[in-house]
Amino acid sequence: MITTVTLNPAIDREYFVDKNEVMKNQFIYSHEDLKVYPGGKGLISAINFKNLGYGDVQNIGFVGGKQGLFFEKMVQKHDIISNYIYTESEIRNNVKIIGREPATYTQYNDYTFKVEKEEVEELIIRFKRSISESGCILMSGSVPEGVDFNIYQRLIKIAKKKGKHVFLQASGEALKLALKSEPDIVTPYFKHHKTILDMEMNDKEDYLRAGKKMQEMGAKRVMIPFHCDRLLFDKDGSVYQLSPKGYCIINWLGASDAYNSAYLDYAFKTDKFDFLEANRRGGAAALWIAENKEIYLDDRKNYNSCLDRLEINKLEV
Amino acid sequence: MSNVKDYMVRTMNSVTPDDSIRKAIILMYRSEQSVLPVVDHQNLFVGTIYSNNILKNIIPESFGFLDSSHLFYEVNEAVENLKYVKDEKVEKYMARNRDAVKENSDMKKIADIMLNNKESLLFVINDEGYLRGFIERSNLLHYLLDEAEGDGE
Repeated sequence: MITTVTLNPAIDREYFVDKNEVMKNQFIYSHEDLKVYPGGKGLISAINFKNLGYGDVQNIGFVGGKQGLFFEKMVQKHDIISNYIYTESEIRNNVKIIGREPATYTQYNDYTFKVEKEEVEELIIRFKRSISESGCILMSGSVPEGVDFNIYQRLIKIAKKKGKHVFLQASGEALKLALKSEPDIVTPYFKHHKTILDMEMNDKEDYLRAGKKMQEMGAKRVMIPFHCDRLLFDKDGSVYQLSPKGYCIINWLGASDAYNSAYLDYAFKTDKFDFLEANRRGGAAALWIAENKEIYLDDRKNYNSCLDRLEINKLEV
Repeated sequence: MSNVKDYMVRTMNSVTPDDSIRKAIILMYRSEQSVLPVVDHQNLFVGTIYSNNILKNIIPESFGFLDSSHLFYEVNEAVENLKYVKDEKVEKYMARNRDAVKENSDMKKIADIMLNNKESLLFVINDEGYLRGFIERSNLLHYLLDEAEGDGE
């Protein structure tokens, strides 16, 4: 079984209108102009794994209120095993209004979701017993209000004690604290921060310093997004740069989750793990998502067609 | 042939024998499920906790035959009883049955079990006994409708 963790899920609602105007009632009559789907980084990866043919995939995290039950139903529609702690507080809605002419994008992100201490402790207990069947745990995404930033650190510690591999995608304080529990693979993201480990990320040297620092702090392997490239830090100290060639990005949503899923998919399927090959697969999947309107991966053949447009060069650090 | 896994609800929503009745009640109303699976600390299915069972233990006299003239008194007594019961462990009130079905079982078998045992919900496990979710009468009806309309052929 594959386990993914989503602590801060949301219901994403996309409304497509001809023109987004203030002080005007808009009426949407077509299903194509209204999309409602369950959001959360760990969950998107779970759906990717399911689409790639994995039998049992579970998503662990919090959901709350009546909207939480609706969220769970949408997750189950993808044949994912839902494994949620039900909170008192309703989960979030993210509303996106996309105007066609002129092309506009307006987003209202709801940050009202709050988790109580008792619910956090319940998640820890549930997590302990739910990972028995999993060899690898993917933890990804932000931390909701009410949950201490050491949550990933605690979850990784439990997973490592049970001999599981941990792939972590996190940011800010939660990332910094999580490194102490020595996750196997770490990839930071910059949704709310332009920093890694409190260091400003401006030029390439900053990114290289941050990658090395993360390894010193406990991460075995690190991959850092660097504009449209990735800087790869292998456990032997080697550093590489992965670069896509001749691309046209039309969609960011789901690209990093596709990267994580394809990286792990390669790791699950091979007997001779090659860090660079895993990243090539990840890069190809991210590139395929970025050049399509899709959020989820569907077939290995599709994204593997992008493999020859990726270049990896070793960096002298 | 249609299998349970084609119609089941996939969820790990569960309690353990060590959990308190209070925790089970909270989980029941938040998840809108009146029956929960009980698993051990490895997520292996070990039994079932029914809301009916909890009610039977807190409502005095004959559950289901509440006399309206005594209702107020009996509800108050149930509240008083629950003050003690809520901190007790699930293991005291759970049914240690093993009537779970396998996810690869034939749906025809489920129809037989549900109709003969009058179970409205059955928990689903894999071949090793790990919890996978549940299947209820509405899922059975869904399957039967598919059969009636030819999708199951």
